[in-house]
Amino acid sequence: MTGPELQALFAEQVEIALEEVARASGFSTAEIVELVELGLFEPVGVAPGEWRFTAQHVVIARRAGRLRADFDLNLSGVMLALTYLARIEELEHELHALRCQLLG
Amino acid sequence: MKYKDYYQTLGVARGATDEEIKKAYRKLARKYHPDVSKEKNAEEKFKEVQEAYEVLKDAEKRAAYDQIGTYQPGQDFRPPPGWEQQFGGGFEDLGGIDLSDLFAGLGGFGRRGGDRHFRMPGQDYEVQVHVSLEDLLRGVELEVPMSGSEMTPEGLRRTSRTVKVRVPKGAADGQRLRVAGKGGAGMDGGPPGDLYLDIHLKPHPLYRVSGHDLFLEVPVAPWEAALGATVEIPTPSGRVSIKVPAGSKAGQKLRVRGKGLPRPHGAEPGDLFGVLQIVTPSVLSEREKALYQQLAQASSFNPRGHFE
Repeated sequence: MTGPELQALFAEQVEIALEEVARASGFSTAEIVELVELGLFEPVGVAPGEWRFTAQHVVIARRAGRLRADFDLNLSGVMLALTYLARIEELEHELHALRCQLLG
Repeated sequence: MKYKDYYQTLGVARGATDEEIKKAYRKLARKYHPDVSKEKNAEEKFKEVQEAYEVLKDAEKRAAYDQIGTYQPGQDFRPPPGWEQQFGGGFEDLGGIDLSDLFAGLGGFGRRGGDRHFRMPGQDYEVQVHVSLEDLLRGVELEVPMSGSEMTPEGLRRTSRTVKVRVPKGAADGQRLRVAGKGGAGMDGGPPGDLYLDIHLKPHPLYRVSGHDLFLEVPVAPWEAALGATVEIPTPSGRVSIKVPAGSKAGQKLRVRGKGLPRPHGAEPGDLFGVLQIVTPSVLSEREKALYQQLAQASSFNPRGHFE
């Protein structure tokens, strides 16, 4: 079955509420609040009720949820794993950019 | 129905203790978890490991699995009579489903990501799509194949469908795009899941791509590098002339502003960088050879002066 064509949106453009981030990642809203306090991501807005997340945040939250479920991690373990993964991605990105500039 | 040997998948004996099963799972998870692994087919392998673990870690499901008997992996089998009634599978027809579906349907077997008892939202999908440089330049329409097993009001179904998606101009390698409401269907009025596209750029024969910037190797002759030259290079929007300054070195980058990939929302596009490569003819004519020899004698240039 093929539906009508849909425009995909850049993940940064989309505004998503706390409940939806929790729903998509398998965390409770309280746990998402804790992950925000731990600095996993920064939603726009002051109070949790007003927070607006991006789809990019949802992707990160989903990854956090998978790591927690599949490795039996607690939130600080999840944070540690994500910090290292982000660092690796940053380095890979840098490596790729440098490779692009090299000859051969 | 095809048999899967869950014990073999985890590499444990049939009599393994819960602790041994957990340890084997943890070890394999570290190796194949798609979020941390660089192994080939990590995702596929991890799914198998996870499926095996979901069944073997649960005493009831493990007992149900053990009762099926032992077969060769991939061998056709049917559960023994009374098996479904005993374990509450409730399947009318076992033809179109495999062992994983069978266990997924058993006694409210939880799906990943939490307890959802009613008004279950649809599953989110993350799909990798491979696009060409030309696709990123113009935007592209893709048919995204999505398949998996989904809980529907009629029970567990193996679904396979495609969603037509337009990737907007300005997307880049490694970027994620979201298509709202195009994931799995929700249950009991629950909202549908979302579809996330992970953009992967196929390699281009000419350009190397970093974000929205393009890098192009530009070969120049030694005299062009020494004396300076104007050379014509290709860009995605047509050929342009660039000035190679006199005294250029190999590896030097020449920037052509705005000739990289488009950015979203009409922002200024990326740049194209010509990376100079000094190439020498592999065969020299007598005349060229004589001129090089003349140059060698006349020049006081010492490229290795800093070694001394």
